[in-house]
Amino acid sequence: MKQFTRREALKLTAAGGLVAGGSLAMPGIVRAASYPTRPINVIVPFATGGYNDRLSRAFAPYLEKELGQPLVIINKPGAGTQLGHTYALQQPNDGYTILCTSASPYIPLTVLLQQAPYKNEDFWMINLPSRDYTLAATSSDSSIKDFKQVIDMLKKDPSSLSIGVQPASADYANMVLTMQAVGIDPTKLRVVTYDGGGPARNATAGAQVDVGFVGGEGFIPLKTKIKPLAIYAAETVSWFPEAPLISASGIKTDMVEGSQRGWAVSAKLKAEAPDVYKTIENAVSKASQDPKAVEALKLQDLATTWYGPEASNKAFLDNAAKMARYVDLLKS
Amino acid sequence: MIDFPAFYDALGIMATSAGSWGWIVPGLIVGLVFSAVPGVSITMAMAIVLPMSLYMDFFSAIVFLTSVYTGAGFGGSVPAILMNIPGSPSSYATTFDGYAMSKKGQHNEALGYALFASTICGILGYVLLLFVVEPLAGIVLKIGPVEMFAVAIWGMLLLGSLGSKYVTRGLLAAAFGVLLGTVGMNTAGFIRGTMGLPVLLDGISPIPAMIGLLAAGQLLTLAGKDYILDAEEARSVSVKKILAGCWGTMKYPGVLIRGSIIGIIIGAVPGVGSSVGNLIAYAETKRTSKDSASFGKGNPKGVIAAESAVASAEGGSMATMLALGIPGGGATAILLAAFMMHNIVPGPSFIETQKPMVYAIILNNIVQAIVLLVVGIGFIYVASNVVKVRTRYILPAILVIATLGTYAVDGSPSGPITLFIFSLIGFALVRYEYPVAAVVVGILLGRMLETEFLRSYQLSAGNPLYILQRPGAMAIVGIMLLSLAMTAWGKRKQAKQEAEEEAAMQALHREELATAGKH
Repeated sequence: MKQFTRREALKLTAAGGLVAGGSLAMPGIVRAASYPTRPINVIVPFATGGYNDRLSRAFAPYLEKELGQPLVIINKPGAGTQLGHTYALQQPNDGYTILCTSASPYIPLTVLLQQAPYKNEDFWMINLPSRDYTLAATSSDSSIKDFKQVIDMLKKDPSSLSIGVQPASADYANMVLTMQAVGIDPTKLRVVTYDGGGPARNATAGAQVDVGFVGGEGFIPLKTKIKPLAIYAAETVSWFPEAPLISASGIKTDMVEGSQRGWAVSAKLKAEAPDVYKTIENAVSKASQDPKAVEALKLQDLATTWYGPEASNKAFLDNAAKMARYVDLLKS
Repeated sequence: MIDFPAFYDALGIMATSAGSWGWIVPGLIVGLVFSAVPGVSITMAMAIVLPMSLYMDFFSAIVFLTSVYTGAGFGGSVPAILMNIPGSPSSYATTFDGYAMSKKGQHNEALGYALFASTICGILGYVLLLFVVEPLAGIVLKIGPVEMFAVAIWGMLLLGSLGSKYVTRGLLAAAFGVLLGTVGMNTAGFIRGTMGLPVLLDGISPIPAMIGLLAAGQLLTLAGKDYILDAEEARSVSVKKILAGCWGTMKYPGVLIRGSIIGIIIGAVPGVGSSVGNLIAYAETKRTSKDSASFGKGNPKGVIAAESAVASAEGGSMATMLALGIPGGGATAILLAAFMMHNIVPGPSFIETQKPMVYAIILNNIVQAIVLLVVGIGFIYVASNVVKVRTRYILPAILVIATLGTYAVDGSPSGPITLFIFSLIGFALVRYEYPVAAVVVGILLGRMLETEFLRSYQLSAGNPLYILQRPGAMAIVGIMLLSLAMTAWGKRKQAKQEAEEEAAMQALHREELATAGKH
């Protein structure tokens, strides 16, 4: 990807030069004395084209405006984000490296299951605007009407329905927690494993499996091909309001949040260079609330909601703790 | 079927966005050049240009990206034919007969065959798409793990028979390849054979591994020569011969159509892509051909079969992406991202509400295929000059380019390291007469075999009778068994009653080959 970033860098430097020039002339932009003086790298631990990649590219122009320097998007995919996250932490703590990542579930997952060489606390969340939740769904032409029917059928015979799910995922944990809550032995289920949300969604929409437990957001383009049965969220989800909440099915179960995506830096940066960190935080905050950014991202179904570092870190660490508690479920 | 008002609107879009036409030629050239570099895949080429397309308007961006896709579909066959090193996995089957033709001094013709097969089947794929974009999408979703497993077995079976002196070594090599293909985290979340290296969690990167395996043996062979082609008079680059090859493609409509159908269907299945299609199309053409013995020795039908499947897979893959919003492979995943970056979400509702746009995209791809014919001839003409360069200059260049290419795949040293390790493995395999081809096929198909088998097992709860509920899978297995039985029956007949006749036919072929191969 070296070539790619160079080209990108050239392009952005050209565009960014103008922005930088403009920003010098504009007073009132909050900046630490000597930061930033050169382009800033945004590490995306996924390949081009994924949610985080799109989020970073769509958001970059607005963040550039606030920071006064161009952003260079660097895709570092591989090993379930472990390579990209490790790479980001290896960079100097000078504020020239920002992460745009799916903090949950990937950081805790790589820590719990892949012995990644970092801890959850090594990362500091600036803002996690995008939240995704596990959705239990069935194909639109399926005879299954609602989630209660699924549970009733499985209670009678745990192998009566096939279940599509990604192993070692929040979705898997949610599925098993539900089964345990209603007294179904999860080991007796006919579980079909998929190595990614996409394949699991296709299998659900194509009725390869009777019920799929997958992150709901990816289902949006396929909305007409599926029937949502239950979404693992505490309150109605804005981007999928017609999906019934899991609580509506009368099942009381603990749940893990599917994805928490957004902007992060290394925790060391905040501790060692608080001024630089504050500049980044302010820039992300302002850009997130820039009406133009909000409008542009909304068109692409990307989130900009500003929760702030406190709420974001709490949400991230709470969910990570929950995942650690259910680590045996994740191990499948 | 075609919705005519929408079709006319599509023509309107094409006419009014004339500026976007200008992106066809640059896109094709980018695709051709990148994919001709060993180690750079189609996906990679598109990932590189994706950020650029952000600065274009929607239709121009799509025209540019799909042009790169179209160009890249063919570009890989150039090094495959000239040097026996496939530019990407999708042109692997092209090496079998393409390089054999080159060795006979027919590189011009071989490239012509490949280009024309690529063009015609690219068009054929998209024309079919125009009619069946919606129903095809519905069928694709119905293809489940059992069907996929049958397809993977098909690929394995027919390629296992690829020329090997010892059957046992061929089997061993294939098993070795499958094992290598399953390294990493499998679909059920189990981690195998990674030796604790995080880079191996996603499996062995197939492109550097394939190039390492194939290039090692090939480069050593070339190192012993002054030029790629021994005969001096064969080292010509002739547009006339290229065109003769192009024209010759028309003599094999059956091969073109079969290749296209296999390509479209396999290309449309999410997650498989053209790297499997070309193997199956090649093997099927070889098996059903009367002159199957001459395959691998420079039969143009082998080149045509492989290339037709690659080119038409593009149409299939686009169908799935447009109609369902599901990427069929890496390249369409990038296209999907480009759509979304322009605030357009492909999928069932997109097809319903934006039919003219869908048609315009399909029509533009047909135009691209036609333009590719012209640009491609120019590209072949330039690239073919490699046969005039001494190997002492080519080999270091290939080594450097391949190393850089594999480094570029994910921007880390893991690519070149894989290339190096697999070069050693490749060298050892060649040295001890194990068929490298079987290992490559194993690596390409191993993961699919395991994943789909595991899912079939999970889905059926271990009950083999489950296949009775899957008519599609039964049909695939049925055709496969029938073709095997016919081959076996044919061989028995050959051994018993028609030994003489077969021998006569073989002799005839040898004679033909000898005449064709004479310099």
